[in-house]
Amino acid sequence: MLLATYDLWGFVSENRHELWHGFVNTIKVSAIAILGSYAIGITLGAARAHRIPVVSQFTAVYVEVIRCTPILVQIFLLFYALPQLGILLNQFTTAWVAVTIWGGAFHSENFRAGILAVSHRHREAALALGFRPLATFLNVELPIGGRIALPSSINTAISVVKNTSLMYVIGYMELTTTAINISNLTLETTEAITLLGIVYLVLVWSLSALIRTLERRLALPEGT
Amino acid sequence: MPDWASPVARYILEQGLPGMLRVAVVSLIGSTVIGVVLGTLLTIHFRPSRWLIRAYIEVFRGLPIIVTVFLVYYGLPPLSATLQFSPLNATAIALVLWGSAQVAEASRGAVGSIPAEQHEAAAALGFGWVGRHRYVILPQALRRLLPPLVSLLVNIIQNTTLAGVIGGLELLSAAQRQNERVAAVPPIGTGQIHALEIFLGIAVLFFIISFPLTRLAAYLERRLV
Repeated sequence: MLLATYDLWGFVSENRHELWHGFVNTIKVSAIAILGSYAIGITLGAARAHRIPVVSQFTAVYVEVIRCTPILVQIFLLFYALPQLGILLNQFTTAWVAVTIWGGAFHSENFRAGILAVSHRHREAALALGFRPLATFLNVELPIGGRIALPSSINTAISVVKNTSLMYVIGYMELTTTAINISNLTLETTEAITLLGIVYLVLVWSLSALIRTLERRLALPEGT
Repeated sequence: MPDWASPVARYILEQGLPGMLRVAVVSLIGSTVIGVVLGTLLTIHFRPSRWLIRAYIEVFRGLPIIVTVFLVYYGLPPLSATLQFSPLNATAIALVLWGSAQVAEASRGAVGSIPAEQHEAAAALGFGWVGRHRYVILPQALRRLLPPLVSLLVNIIQNTTLAGVIGGLELLSAAQRQNERVAAVPPIGTGQIHALEIFLGIAVLFFIISFPLTRLAAYLERRLV
């Protein structure tokens, strides 16, 4: 039996440099994409909640296009189709751009819903106190709506981290690509998949635990 | 349509589409059946079974689906030779593992939302646990489950593209093969690159399939809740 030679620790320690490098790349792409997608999502979500002309319609189309096409197709378009227009993206750029665009679409839905859930009385109160529209947004709508959107937005962030594993298809050396490539040479497939499972579950479960903590800490006081 | 395009479209629709549909249908049915059963069992207050089902849900919802695909396709054969699957079957199994975890979570909520009176009334009529759920609780819970199931179908359709990663023939991998063939020198291809048209075409195809389904899910959500 092949399992007789199962040696997870040996696999990890012999390839620790490559695997660590892959892990760092996963974290790097995830971090860029999480920040970028939050920025896109908050901006476009606010624009949609306020029905700002043009931006609002653009966002609606953007969200539907991203949600109704597989992310692998989006990655292929960026990596294999854009060069035809003279736009060449390397693997790293494709990786973070693809997940940022994907996450941005989902975040803009999260934040649109969150901001729409803010009671209009809060908004009117701020305007009555002399806040300008932008100041009303930053000081009243975003703090309240952002908290309402928080759980769903962290779920999106978790999906962003998981989706970085799809960069396997363009050969970007993040954790999944690295582990599978090594196992293709050493035939330690079971070890590679065990390692991937452990690392991703730890990442995802820690982020879910973070949601629960943040939900408690940032819960809106009763009655708001 | 230019000369190069019609064989490409024919290959994608004749070779890729059936693969995609097969994986999608099997995954949807498998996820629904297993998910509803697990979700219903999760409402029983018996700790060991709840822990087991919880662990199943958390693991398969937590793993990136591509890792689950690798797990089924590369990870199972070393355990036993009978666990060797074709790329399309392996993807369908992986999508069932992932999808049933999603459905289990949703149906736990749907089953839990049926008022206790329904259980009591069914018990008073002489139904046992199985009959009570089979004839009284689940038919009502399934109505509430319909919108998430349609959304799941959209996700499943998009994730069938993962079969291409392990060499299965579905829409995206069919497009990729045609993209490479078209770019090859004549007489095999045209020597020209048409990646943009081909992959945009695939994106449009997925959009045409998925968009009406997302509207349907939203409509059912409004109608049934």
